[in-house]
Amino acid sequence: MIDAVKLSGVRKGFGAVRAVDGLSLTIRPGQTVALLGPNGAGKSTTIGMLLGLSAPDSGTVELFGTTPARAVRAGKVGAMLQDAGFVPNATVREVIELARALYPMPLPTGQVLHTAGLAELADRRLDKLSGGEAQRARFAFALAGDPRLLLLDEPTAAMDVATRQAFWAAMRRYSAAGHTVLFATHYLEEADDYADRVVVIAHGKVIADGTGTDIKRMTGGRTVAFDLAGGGTAGLDLLPGVRAVEVRGDRARLRSDDSDATVAALVHSGRSFTNLEINSAGLEEAFLALTGA
Amino acid sequence: MAAYFMFELRRLVREPRLFIFTVFMPVISYVVFTGVGDMRGNTEGVTVAAALMVGLAGYGAVAGVLSVAGGVSTERTSGWLRQLRITPLRPVGVVAVKGVLATLTAIPPVVGVGIAGRLEHHVSLPLDRWILLVLVMWLGTIPFALLGLAIGYVLPPQLAQPATFLSFFSLSVLGGLLVPVEVFPRMLRYVAHALPTNRYAELGWAVAGGHLPTALGGTVLLGWTALFAALAAAAYRRSAATR
Repeated sequence: MIDAVKLSGVRKGFGAVRAVDGLSLTIRPGQTVALLGPNGAGKSTTIGMLLGLSAPDSGTVELFGTTPARAVRAGKVGAMLQDAGFVPNATVREVIELARALYPMPLPTGQVLHTAGLAELADRRLDKLSGGEAQRARFAFALAGDPRLLLLDEPTAAMDVATRQAFWAAMRRYSAAGHTVLFATHYLEEADDYADRVVVIAHGKVIADGTGTDIKRMTGGRTVAFDLAGGGTAGLDLLPGVRAVEVRGDRARLRSDDSDATVAALVHSGRSFTNLEINSAGLEEAFLALTGA
Repeated sequence: MAAYFMFELRRLVREPRLFIFTVFMPVISYVVFTGVGDMRGNTEGVTVAAALMVGLAGYGAVAGVLSVAGGVSTERTSGWLRQLRITPLRPVGVVAVKGVLATLTAIPPVVGVGIAGRLEHHVSLPLDRWILLVLVMWLGTIPFALLGLAIGYVLPPQLAQPATFLSFFSLSVLGGLLVPVEVFPRMLRYVAHALPTNRYAELGWAVAGGHLPTALGGTVLLGWTALFAALAAAAYRRSAATR
């Protein structure tokens, strides 16, 4: 089977900045893949190259065994870009009808409206939509042509919680029909919840690739934080499970693979501590762990 | 591409500002300008009433056609053109649709001012000459559509608007669309005759007067068309490369 996406040794720079620095990635048809990384990791640049909007400085980019430009022309790709605006003096339905007319085998209009949760907004002017509604309209525009590959660049950025959930439900319906989806996000939870596979990138390189659970395990589980209340910091790094210790003022933050064991040992050690908190590792910590900083 | 054309045409028709600037204003100006002076004289080989009719029709037409600059500039920076680029629609098709639609905005002002000329000053032409007039006043806007595309693809919206207005205003006043070139000082007359607006209106005056436009006029207009086409192509390529 031909790979849906194949990036080999791709590099792309803007002036002195290396946005993408030797990225290789293969995605089989039918997978839902999250491209996880902090701002500036190279996610949008990668998506831009996948769509043929920019060319790599070196390396190759292929979609379904052909160039991005050809795949786009053949209607195999739909995308939701971060900075894609709409035009005034047209309605949601009209812009969806336009997208349908441009692709060889579009979905029925009613289905597109339903999937994107826009049934009640079909006759609204595009310039009268709220941020979240416009984002759903962009999703509708991207999927109207029933493309085999859907690329989404931070699709939930402007959405509130309810819209976000509705969006992901819609996405699931779409990917369940055997489509390939690649979405960029900087939320570990989003990647973990909605992707079969999570590819973590930082500084333009793939630094981890696996299921959401794999990535979470690699990122050092939890953070145990407490006020030292006058006690010293000596020996904190020797507590069971602890992988890293960070002290800011009077507050210590321990990154731990096994927070239960860490806390049990902390209590038994007889140290004084107050304001104990245990949190899942945020993405920031995750990246520090993965990049070894 | 037909779907995109229809989509854009609908949007164009729904833009009220365009109608005000390209039809309402030229018609009002025509009625006012020709209401005060002596309309019996001749200029540009036709009556003053007919000459001003062609001039103001051209004025509205150029205003409408150049407005493509603002649209392209806004759509480029808002990311809409990027959105279209990732569909099967050919990028060149987008430019073509924009350009053709821009020239079509020339037709309502020509019809509007034409009706005003007919009703107000009994400017009478045989029907086939009226049709030919609309046709040349439409196709003659091709260089202005190219200029509009060039501005739209090179300048951001906050600069595209003033650049469009400046081009439109200087080209139409100096080109003799509002005031006959005859009354210009001698130096300005040379300037006027070198401008595309003047040579565009000349096509209309020729049709209204029932004679052929001058070869020099045609050459000047074609020269500007080639220049604006080169500018538009360069601007388009530049914008496609940076995005």
